[in-house]
Amino acid sequence: MDQLELLNLEFTALKIRRHILRLIRAGEAGHVGGALSSVEIVTALYFNIMNNDPSNPRWPERDRFVLSAGHKCLVLYAALAERGYFDLSILDTYGALDSPVPGHPNMHKLPGVETNTGALGHGLSIAGGMALGIRMDKSPARVFVLMGDGELAEGSNWEAAAAASMHKIENILVFVDRNQLQISGPTTKVMNYEPLEERWRSFGWSVRTIDGHDFNSIISNARELPFEKGKPSVIIADTIKSKGLSFAERKVNYHYWKATPEEMTRAEQDLDEIENSLKKKLKSITGNE
Amino acid sequence: MNELKDPRKTFGEAVIEAAEKNPNVVVLSADSSSGSGLGAFPERFPDRHFEFGIMEQGVIGFASGLATTGKIPVFAAIAPFVTARPFEMFRNDLGYMNQNVKVVGRCAGLTYDQLGSTHHSIDDVAIIRTIPGVTIFNPGDPVTIRKAVHAMINHTGPCYMKIGSPKMPVLYPEDVTFTTGRGIVMKEGSDVTLVGTGTVLSKAVAAAGLLEKSGISVRLIDIHTVKPLDRDLILKAARETGRIVTVEEHFIAGGLGSAIAELCSQEYPVKMKMIGIGDFYASNGPYEELLGKYGLQPEQIKDTVIKFLST
Repeated sequence: MDQLELLNLEFTALKIRRHILRLIRAGEAGHVGGALSSVEIVTALYFNIMNNDPSNPRWPERDRFVLSAGHKCLVLYAALAERGYFDLSILDTYGALDSPVPGHPNMHKLPGVETNTGALGHGLSIAGGMALGIRMDKSPARVFVLMGDGELAEGSNWEAAAAASMHKIENILVFVDRNQLQISGPTTKVMNYEPLEERWRSFGWSVRTIDGHDFNSIISNARELPFEKGKPSVIIADTIKSKGLSFAERKVNYHYWKATPEEMTRAEQDLDEIENSLKKKLKSITGNE
Repeated sequence: MNELKDPRKTFGEAVIEAAEKNPNVVVLSADSSSGSGLGAFPERFPDRHFEFGIMEQGVIGFASGLATTGKIPVFAAIAPFVTARPFEMFRNDLGYMNQNVKVVGRCAGLTYDQLGSTHHSIDDVAIIRTIPGVTIFNPGDPVTIRKAVHAMINHTGPCYMKIGSPKMPVLYPEDVTFTTGRGIVMKEGSDVTLVGTGTVLSKAVAAAGLLEKSGISVRLIDIHTVKPLDRDLILKAARETGRIVTVEEHFIAGGLGSAIAELCSQEYPVKMKMIGIGDFYASNGPYEELLGKYGLQPEQIKDTVIKFLST
């Protein structure tokens, strides 16, 4: 991937982060920490990795995205809007009565949403079923899943993990957003599932660990699906919770953020700074503003 | 004496018939296909049978995902393990997502007699009935079990069907009309309406015969689809007979009797008597004796109706 292509994705990620703030502004609060930690993963999926068509969201050959950690929905809404599944103005309805962008995603309310998640520990089984159905149809489509690290304490995930391995499901790629924090504190203190790599491997998965904010790494690994023949693939993505907001990064109390006006101003300044540095990078590559 | 048939065998044969006709039918098993009368399915359709072992929560999710690709998953296992245990998966992955999945609870009611309350399923209708959009079948004889399977496969949307385990009498001719959501009037009558469902329908049929001999004119209705309830048929019976008695192998709380009471209390209040299991864990023992312990044998139903009519 060339530098310009990469930078382009970073600009898109910035737009996604701005859309997340727009959602929070509309709804006054939301699950921001895990949405921001997974921006690069979701951006890479919707703007590089996945074959999809916003004008035909139910295209049978499309790649699927299952947001198992449904509370990260702000990043999904932001990415779908930016990708053109629906008008950006829909984001301004977050928190309103009957909004198509509820606090957890609803496939019946919004084009591009594949599953109704929110209760944790459901997405991997559903994704496994999708992958089996796609395989029966001899379709080239793949299923991408985003899970939280805190979510892994739900036992149902491990039923699904065992079954995906038993059925040799190759057309699935799970990203575990390992931001290391959940509502009550560090994931290793609340319920320790580390070392995640060994656990997934022992369930029959092919495992890789990457920097979950590094587009190069996300994309080059995703392109190698399946990592091993006859095995499902998982990427443990090390990330920073609330990535992009300097005052909130790695802080547990921003799992769910009720934004004060002062914090919102600081958040916008932080994103402006990111924009300035991206512009400088662009200039250094192209010699233009 | 009516011919007796194995409900699970009947069910399994019907699923294979449906799968012959419709290539989208797939079967999911939680180590449960052979016990559900589906032992022949994996041999007949090896690419359309998925074994998962004992993980009912996950199977419901996999079924939901398969349904998103146009498959029609059928998942049959012991009734409490496909209803009470994975309730949230049933509600979210099937109901809320409105997926075309067919869940079948077998050995339902008290039919796992000796195995005790962990294996009885006398709350399944109550809990699944709360999920919007789920159609609930509870057929009461082998003929309608077969017809319910085909109706369920042809219906688009999540379904729950319950069947028992002991052999059950054939109550209907093969050409009986079976329509999803429409009850069957098995006998006309004017003094009281007796409504039966599922495994104890035959007990209600026998009780109706005993009541006729006592000079009581009984209207007998089979509600093989508990949801959506046949409102017109029930309200007509309420208007024309003035009293309703329900008979079900289920808790009185939340079952068919409750569904009928919810309707009649608002639309046409009539006196009702609900025969079923009270607010306690059912005991263990031989099936017919258990039914007798809870007043579900024909003579007991007859006595309950006669007493009810005198109040």
